[in-house]
Amino acid sequence: MTETVLEVRNLKVAFPCAGGVIRAVEGIDLVTKKGECVALVGESGCGKSVTALSIMKLLRTPPSVSRIDKLELDGRDLTHLTDRDMERVRGKDMAIIFQDAMTALNPVMTVGKQIDEVYRRHTKLGKKEAREQTIRALELVGVPEPRSRAKAFPHELSGGMRQRVLIALAFACMPKLIIADEPTTSLDVTIQAQVLDVLKSMQRNHDVSALLITHDLSVVANMADAVYVMYSGKIVGRAPKQQLFMDPLHPYTQGLLASVPRISDGKQAFVQIPDTVPHPMRKPSGCYFHPRCFRASDRCREHMPRLENLENGRQIRCWHPLHQERGA
Amino acid sequence: MKRSYVIKRILYAVFIFFVVLTLNFFIPRIGVRDPAERYYPPQGAMSDIEYEIIKQFTAEQYGFDVSTFQQYVRYLNGLIHGDLGTSLRAGSPRVTELIGERLPWTLVLSVTTLIISLVIGLLFGTLAAWKRGRWQDTLLLSASTISIALPAFFIALMLSFYLGFELELFPAYTNPNMVAQFDWSLEAIRVVMNNAALPIMSMALGGIVGYSQTTRNSVIAVTNEDFVITARAKGLSHTTVLYKHVLRNAMLPLATSIGMSISGLIGGAIIIERVFNWQGMGTLFLEANSTNDYPLMMGIMLFLSAFAILANLITELFYSILDPRVTVGDKR
Amino acid sequence: MSRRNVLLQVARRGGSFMSLLKKLWQHPKGRVGLVLVGCLVLVAVLAPVLAPYDPYDVTQRVEKGLHPSLAHPLGTTITTGQDILSMLIYGSRVSLMIGISTGVAIAFLGALMGVMAGYIGGFVDNLIMRTVDILLVIPTLPLIIVLTNLLGRSYFVIVMVFVVFGWTGLARVIRSLVLVLKNSNYVKAAELAGASRWYIMTKHILPGTSHLIIMNTTLTCAGIMVAEAGLSFLGLGDPTAISWGKMLAEAQGGGALLFGAWWWILAPGVGIFLAVFSFMRIGIVMEEVFNPRMKASSSIYKLFKHMNNTYLDEVFRSMDNEESDESAERPNPSDAPLPEGSHD
Repeated sequence: MTETVLEVRNLKVAFPCAGGVIRAVEGIDLVTKKGECVALVGESGCGKSVTALSIMKLLRTPPSVSRIDKLELDGRDLTHLTDRDMERVRGKDMAIIFQDAMTALNPVMTVGKQIDEVYRRHTKLGKKEAREQTIRALELVGVPEPRSRAKAFPHELSGGMRQRVLIALAFACMPKLIIADEPTTSLDVTIQAQVLDVLKSMQRNHDVSALLITHDLSVVANMADAVYVMYSGKIVGRAPKQQLFMDPLHPYTQGLLASVPRISDGKQAFVQIPDTVPHPMRKPSGCYFHPRCFRASDRCREHMPRLENLENGRQIRCWHPLHQERGA
Repeated sequence: MKRSYVIKRILYAVFIFFVVLTLNFFIPRIGVRDPAERYYPPQGAMSDIEYEIIKQFTAEQYGFDVSTFQQYVRYLNGLIHGDLGTSLRAGSPRVTELIGERLPWTLVLSVTTLIISLVIGLLFGTLAAWKRGRWQDTLLLSASTISIALPAFFIALMLSFYLGFELELFPAYTNPNMVAQFDWSLEAIRVVMNNAALPIMSMALGGIVGYSQTTRNSVIAVTNEDFVITARAKGLSHTTVLYKHVLRNAMLPLATSIGMSISGLIGGAIIIERVFNWQGMGTLFLEANSTNDYPLMMGIMLFLSAFAILANLITELFYSILDPRVTVGDKR
Repeated sequence: MSRRNVLLQVARRGGSFMSLLKKLWQHPKGRVGLVLVGCLVLVAVLAPVLAPYDPYDVTQRVEKGLHPSLAHPLGTTITTGQDILSMLIYGSRVSLMIGISTGVAIAFLGALMGVMAGYIGGFVDNLIMRTVDILLVIPTLPLIIVLTNLLGRSYFVIVMVFVVFGWTGLARVIRSLVLVLKNSNYVKAAELAGASRWYIMTKHILPGTSHLIIMNTTLTCAGIMVAEAGLSFLGLGDPTAISWGKMLAEAQGGGALLFGAWWWILAPGVGIFLAVFSFMRIGIVMEEVFNPRMKASSSIYKLFKHMNNTYLDEVFRSMDNEESDESAERPNPSDAPLPEGSHD
């Protein structure tokens, strides 16, 4: 049995504000195994990014308040670590790749220095050695002429290059876990493919676990081993990749899959899930998805379904999962 | 720093200076048909014929006998040689001489004020940003609104009254012998500082509040940027994040502010100098005004403009060192 | 544009102006600002009615240097025996008139220049921005001193210089905004539809900047009033007019400090302060209204301090519903204890 690298138990995050409380994350559990790439999928506003930041304990109080029962990284309990203690962990044992590389990098520092920083902080390397490592890291992610590129400022690089720098930053100390928050969303499609390849090879070749946060199912299909589906702050399903795509259980998941246009489809009109994601301050009663669900019943309107564990690692939170109809 | 950028900036500054000095040349000619008119003595008891001769003589004396173009050329020529003109005062001192005498005294006030404002402003601004939402921050906000509404010269008057007349802590009017008796001795320096105290206090109050507010806003804005989260995500220590990432970027708008303050270093203290009768450039200018000493007035104007242009240029170049994004196109 | 359209436009603008006033009124700080400005305007307009004496009337001068009393609540001037309170009231006219007229003029000129520079771009942009650079370099105070010398001391000269030099700030800010608006979809759509430049600039771009213009103008008025006070103090304004700045100069020159007549100095100073402060207040509140950034700062802090721990616990507990089928009791947001004055 492969070991667990990341275990998150019962993570809750809320943002109190003048009009009420924003319920961003409502008690989710996540597990990532060694070498595994787990995707966290959901529409914008479902709480994915907040989850990512919480795992790294990067959220500040105020404006947020969070509770977590257990946060464990490669056997080490991080639950009660203070911010100071977390400084030793971040960047070294776990790292994050942000979505927008332009704003994620310090505009007045060369990219080389920004990567050097990580080495100098977490290892005993001196200035010159750190720079050598930086150059090696840039090579690894496919940046041409790394020695001169390292002296460039972020605004002097193209979007794809910047993203590679972020990847190099994250992999610098070969952490146990990489969290990638929408790593390709802000890139052109062609660059997306390249960057994804880099990410994939880095992850596989160095046996690093990844938590991939995205709303793009094609990215999931490309990279993930297992998928968590998130809706309005709650996990509504989990499945190994194949099964999620071939045999979705949750109506929401089915809706997501159906709304991706495919050339082979032959359909005439776009399929959409009606209405929009609930406002994080005014969530519906019962199951959060019921206003948009074609299978909603009275039970759905009144009671929030439990998250059930099924065989072969699947989870489902629904009173009427699709399987029921098929009478498996 | 890209060389082409530097050259472009310098050329541009020269261009602006040229436009300004041309304006400077033409301004005194506004409002009168005959530019020499302002220099004619009053007619008094002279007959018309006598007066005509006096007028012609005056015109010749002040160089108005040649064409405007030739006057302009003479003016440019003078400038190249560093001559800003000759004052109409008794003894006909050169404008540059007079400026040289009084400039240091103005600088005593402005530079001290600038340093005090900057240092305290930076400290308090960072504090207010760190304690965002707490009382230090709210205090700063109230202080900002109030300080803009209270003009510096009013504060000066109040200080002059309370600390000067009532409590007699500092002289309410500058000692008129201060300049003449200055001999670089410790005692003389003490006298200067004593007299400078109130003017500096009046100006520094606004300055401190201004810089605090700018620093505070800048630090808060930068702290909310994504790259600060990245820095924290890399596990860098608190201090590293603060100094190398936050402050380094927060300095940028501050540098611009400082640049603007520097251009105002000389001309900005006119009113305060008047309140305390401090013998600096400000009072020099006001004296020139009351005696209609046009060469002196325009000479000072040009000097001030040139100084402003230079200050701006240096600030821009310095800023481009701080912010590598600048050399790419026009930052505006 | 047809007449009807013009009227509709005006009505719409008027309507949005009223809604703006309403929003300001609702904000507690805005209310203070509005009330102050209102009072100020009333005082200025009704000066002859409100002032107990007419300071311009030489026959109404009385004994010099009187201390404050019932007959003269702020005493009389040492130099001329005028009633200080009346001077204070009449002084508001100068400040308000100059402040508002300059502000409005700058609003027009600055907005026009900013929109043209931003939207048309190219040579026009260059020309305007270079002019701004030149204007910024010339020291305004000395220039005003020179011009009042050459053209005579009058507020007209002062206002002219303020306007000629003052539009630069607004123009720059508007231009930045216009550069952003230029790329918005509705502008591009209008361009594609073949609308003329002027049409787009006036009907699409300009309304998008209106908030910025109003806010900036308010703050400009405040700044102008301070500057005018300084100039009047130096004696550059109309020598026959009564203004607060001039009162301060007279006070100092007339020996108020020597004789301890601090009220003579305090009165005009407070006048200046209130006038500037009220305008600034409105400007700042407007900024909050237009940019509802999570007016974070103190309100969030107070929120957190007051937020009952039990309330938060309730919220978090309601997120667990694994154990039971019953509908989770989600705490009602209106139960949350909100701090007083969360409008900070």
